[in-house]
Amino acid sequence: MKTNIQSKILVFSTEKISDPAIDLAGLLKKHYPPSVYTINVPCSSSVKPKWILHAFDKGFDGVFIAADGTDCPYGETCSDNTANIVKQAHQEMKARGIDPARLKMAAICSVCAESFVKQMISFTKALENEQKQEN
Amino acid sequence: MNRNRKIDFMINDKDKTEEYDVLVVGGGIAGEEAALNLANQGYKIIMVEKDLSIGGKMIHLSKVFPTLDCAACITTPKVSETARHSNITIYTYSEVKGINKLNGSGFMARVERKPRYVNEETCTGCQICEEKCPVFVQDQFQYDLVGRKAVYVPFSIANPRIATIDMDNCILCGACEKACPADAIDFTQEKEEIPIHIKSVILATGYKLFDPVVIERYGYGRFKNVVTAMQMERQLVPTRPYNNVLRPGDGKMPDNIAYVLCTGSRDATVGNPICSQVCCMYSTKQAQLLMGALPMADITIYFLHVRAFGKGFEEFYQQGRSMGVEFIKGKIGKITEKENGDLLVRYEDIREGVVKEAEHDMVVLSVGILPDIIPEDMFLKERPELDPFHYVMQVDELSNPAKTSMKGVFVAGAASGPMDIPDSILSAGAASSETATYLRRLS
Amino acid sequence: MKNNIGVYICQCGSNISDYVDVEKVRDEVSKIEGVAIAKTTMFACADSTQKEIIEDVRNKKLDAMVVASCSPKLHLFTFRNVAIRAGLNPYHYVQVNIREQDSWAHSDHPAEATLKAIGLVSAGIARVKHSKALKSIDIPSRNAVAILGAGVSGMRAAIEMADMGTEVHLIEREHFVGGRTSQWSQLFTTRQSGEEVVSGLYNKIINNENISLYTGAELLSMKGSVGDFKAKIRIIPRYIKADCILKDNQELLNATLKAINACPVEISDDFNFNITKRKAIYKNYHSEFPECPAIDYEHCTKCGECAKYLDAVDFEQKEQEVEINVGAFVVATGFDPYEPEKGEYAYAEVENVITLPQFKRLIEMNEKELTYRNKAVKNIAYIYCVGSRQTEGKNNYCSRYCCTSAIHAAIHARNKYRDINNFHINRGIRTYGKQELLYEESSRNGDIYLQFDEENIPVVEKQGEKLIIKVKDILTQEKELEVEADLLVLVTGMVPRKHSKVSDILKIPLGRDHFFNEIHPKLKPVETVIDGVFICGACQAPFNITETIKSSLSAASKANALISKGKIELEPTIAEINPEQCSWCGACTEVCLYDAIRKIGHNGKEIAEVDESKCKGCGMCLPVCDQNAINLIGYTDKEIESFIDALIS
Repeated sequence: MKTNIQSKILVFSTEKISDPAIDLAGLLKKHYPPSVYTINVPCSSSVKPKWILHAFDKGFDGVFIAADGTDCPYGETCSDNTANIVKQAHQEMKARGIDPARLKMAAICSVCAESFVKQMISFTKALENEQKQEN
Repeated sequence: MNRNRKIDFMINDKDKTEEYDVLVVGGGIAGEEAALNLANQGYKIIMVEKDLSIGGKMIHLSKVFPTLDCAACITTPKVSETARHSNITIYTYSEVKGINKLNGSGFMARVERKPRYVNEETCTGCQICEEKCPVFVQDQFQYDLVGRKAVYVPFSIANPRIATIDMDNCILCGACEKACPADAIDFTQEKEEIPIHIKSVILATGYKLFDPVVIERYGYGRFKNVVTAMQMERQLVPTRPYNNVLRPGDGKMPDNIAYVLCTGSRDATVGNPICSQVCCMYSTKQAQLLMGALPMADITIYFLHVRAFGKGFEEFYQQGRSMGVEFIKGKIGKITEKENGDLLVRYEDIREGVVKEAEHDMVVLSVGILPDIIPEDMFLKERPELDPFHYVMQVDELSNPAKTSMKGVFVAGAASGPMDIPDSILSAGAASSETATYLRRLS
Repeated sequence: MKNNIGVYICQCGSNISDYVDVEKVRDEVSKIEGVAIAKTTMFACADSTQKEIIEDVRNKKLDAMVVASCSPKLHLFTFRNVAIRAGLNPYHYVQVNIREQDSWAHSDHPAEATLKAIGLVSAGIARVKHSKALKSIDIPSRNAVAILGAGVSGMRAAIEMADMGTEVHLIEREHFVGGRTSQWSQLFTTRQSGEEVVSGLYNKIINNENISLYTGAELLSMKGSVGDFKAKIRIIPRYIKADCILKDNQELLNATLKAINACPVEISDDFNFNITKRKAIYKNYHSEFPECPAIDYEHCTKCGECAKYLDAVDFEQKEQEVEINVGAFVVATGFDPYEPEKGEYAYAEVENVITLPQFKRLIEMNEKELTYRNKAVKNIAYIYCVGSRQTEGKNNYCSRYCCTSAIHAAIHARNKYRDINNFHINRGIRTYGKQELLYEESSRNGDIYLQFDEENIPVVEKQGEKLIIKVKDILTQEKELEVEADLLVLVTGMVPRKHSKVSDILKIPLGRDHFFNEIHPKLKPVETVIDGVFICGACQAPFNITETIKSSLSAASKANALISKGKIELEPTIAEINPEQCSWCGACTEVCLYDAIRKIGHNGKEIAEVDESKCKGCGMCLPVCDQNAINLIGYTDKEIESFIDALIS
């Protein structure tokens, strides 16, 4: 149905690692689509699949977990745990007929402003292509 | 003689004497940083500021290089934190007199509080008095670009944000007194002296700007469209007087602005042979801001060397160049004024080795900074030594950069030499650290 | 639920309002149910606005507040304090970031940025409605610090912190302390030598019982968090007994000299920036402290020759690992001089091309006459900005110290030797502040200054025996001039230390210049985004010695304020179990890294309980609970889901 409106993306960022990178992107005036919204959590492995599904239910086109990766200040298991969350969410998405490609995860380190911006631009494009195909 | 007797009296008058660990002279960014560091460690601080508000020069700046953060955003939280801190007592519009070293037990001094003719406790800063006051004078906080009243709140983000009557200009008509809803006007106020006893002193007296009237060939003071960089800075702040950049001569929006670097710096003929460290960068910053405010304007910076030395400075300078700011390596001979107020700048183009003349509709003098010299009467007998340029001398620069020639007296920020904001903050960090060590050794 | 909320939208001067229509945002959010007042403000952080907010809270009996301004990393605590002063619980305050994550990031799309701001502020309002009053949790902190790097910066910070009563572990990778300063002889702006400065600091360190100095030591790993870090340190053997102190012991000194003589291994001497050789056993310079020789672990063949002369040689020493427990780190790992690439201004291709640090060592080593590779040196050319201000290449930054340092070295050479001619081929001299006097002195002495710009960099040629530098000099109308030099000094800048694993282990972010990055150059100049990890000195940016010391004293002062009180206040955002929903399965305990969840009995059933002193509030346990029985305080389902709802509507 959607045409010109850019895909809305919800980003789960982490307070100590990926959110500073997103701040840095703004500080360096690196542009990414304004339809990207960020919500802060302490650690990427604290994101409940329930929240992800809630976002899709409410109309977000994509959800992106800006994960701590190996930089997680809480522990090394963060990457695995976050991957498990994505896996679990993917299953539930399939069950509800939501394309799993609409949930993405990538590690964004505290200075990865550049990589965050690239991720947002390419994810927006991918979501838009998908919508075109659907139409 | 008189002064000595007074001190003796004060030592005996123990009841009236206020006790503190540290006296911080100056409430600019360096003084605040030093005071906060020490107050957070539990020391009792008295801060004395001669101006009406703390915040120093920084609170008046627009955005600051090289990050282009707004100066107010960065400094006002520090200002409020200082003002609010339970371990810090602040006297604004006050001066320190007669610091006198006692044998083995710190220093005595006096804080001389000038009368505001307004009750500090009751004034809310509502500015109704300002409306009623019939007297207009030049506003020193807007660097004389606009006027203010004889009773006035110094500026919008001042701390404390309360009114003061400028008695030099007041005609004693009483209009403010009648209008004040808080009944805070008090013409009977007098100078007050508070004796203090302190264990150590931090001099954070900062700097003053070079007055370019001294360089006659630049025409400052005679040609209206020749302004200082601080006057331009005030036109670029969010709280700016004209809400636009205008040249003072005729209110025209300038479209061809020149900056003259090293005005009053690196110039032995005006008695200041050293580099001021900040003018290159603040001019580059203003040029960038001007390109935003006046997209059609041409900006030329006449320089000898561009001192873009700090973290992120070179990148900031290159950014200015790539935005189209023209940097000309040139020595300014003379500025003359045309009938329409435009200015002819005669300069030696160093790259081409020829003397040229260029027309600009506004010239900004990038004035250097000079020490705000410590008044004679601040110290009674022994005083900290000064360097050849009248900055407070650092006697152990490589290991204890805040140490002065006088035991227990430390220096922070631009009082020891030209310095930008990040350097001042680090310098204040050093001063607070060295002071804390000194205080621990005392006890 | 909060239903009398004050909303303040900051223009941030013009940083926000240039791109975001703040009036429109205010108009939109004031329609939201529960919003009592919505205002725009020039500076939310200004004292006058803070007062205004407090008055609003009191007069209008607000029960929660939202400020939409810059990143919460800058002002969250400012406004939490405002809430406290106004009589609100600080957790009934939500800060919305419409600067870094909106107006600046989307300055290319102002209309959309405004829409986004409306969404973000609405979401903030939704979140604050569900907020709960909280009290911060105090965690214990060790009043101990690990300082990495015992150059002047690390040593000065160590002394300061030890004086303040902190237990200091000073960790140096080399066998000797003093870092780069020990390699310089005469210093500017005082007349002190590097040796004087370093020995002064070293003597204070060894006499301070609060400081443990580890040399030949490197950080291996780090665990834990602010207040309670556990660090592993690897210490390589010195192969010399610690009591072998050469100071005032002529006999031992002679034995050491013989031992050094006897050593058959020769390697290039990095103390002299590799222009000379040294042995595998070494202690060659007065400015090396401790005054105890060392054997190069890597290169020694253990032939035993040195042991014939020096009893203190001890090959039995083993590599050790020690674990220390500290509340904070101060990182002072310093810089490396830029190493020119082969062929950069003929470096490493043509003889007699050296770097500035090598030149300084050369002056130190040549007493009466300046020679290099056995040839007398009279004409010295200096090319500036080598490895700095590169237009191509990765070092765009200015290295700050090199102009002054090169001029200082040139003056030193001219004063020390006869008939020296200095030619400074520069890109604009940056002797800022009082250093200007040095430039003036050098010009007065007759040093020649030529200037080039980045489009026309000088060309270095070898013509027979002659070394010729061709430069298009902009001070003489871009004439092509030739300088014939006996020695060409490349005025090399600073780069971050090579092989520093510290940034990987401590996760300190790097700036665009690849130096360690502070949070903010003016607000938090020595703090990093990692709580409890401070930086100072030239690991952060090029600095001269005075500037380095100022930053190290600042770091000492900030680190002390953090850890010395014995406790650190932590956010009360920890996990909480809903006992009704929990039916103990143990999944949460398994995933918890802090051993913070235990099994308890509750109303006749087994459930999980959170130990609040151990819980770090990471939330890892949240998604693994099948029963959705765990919430993170401040991030409850209600708060998150209402935030999402508000964003999308």
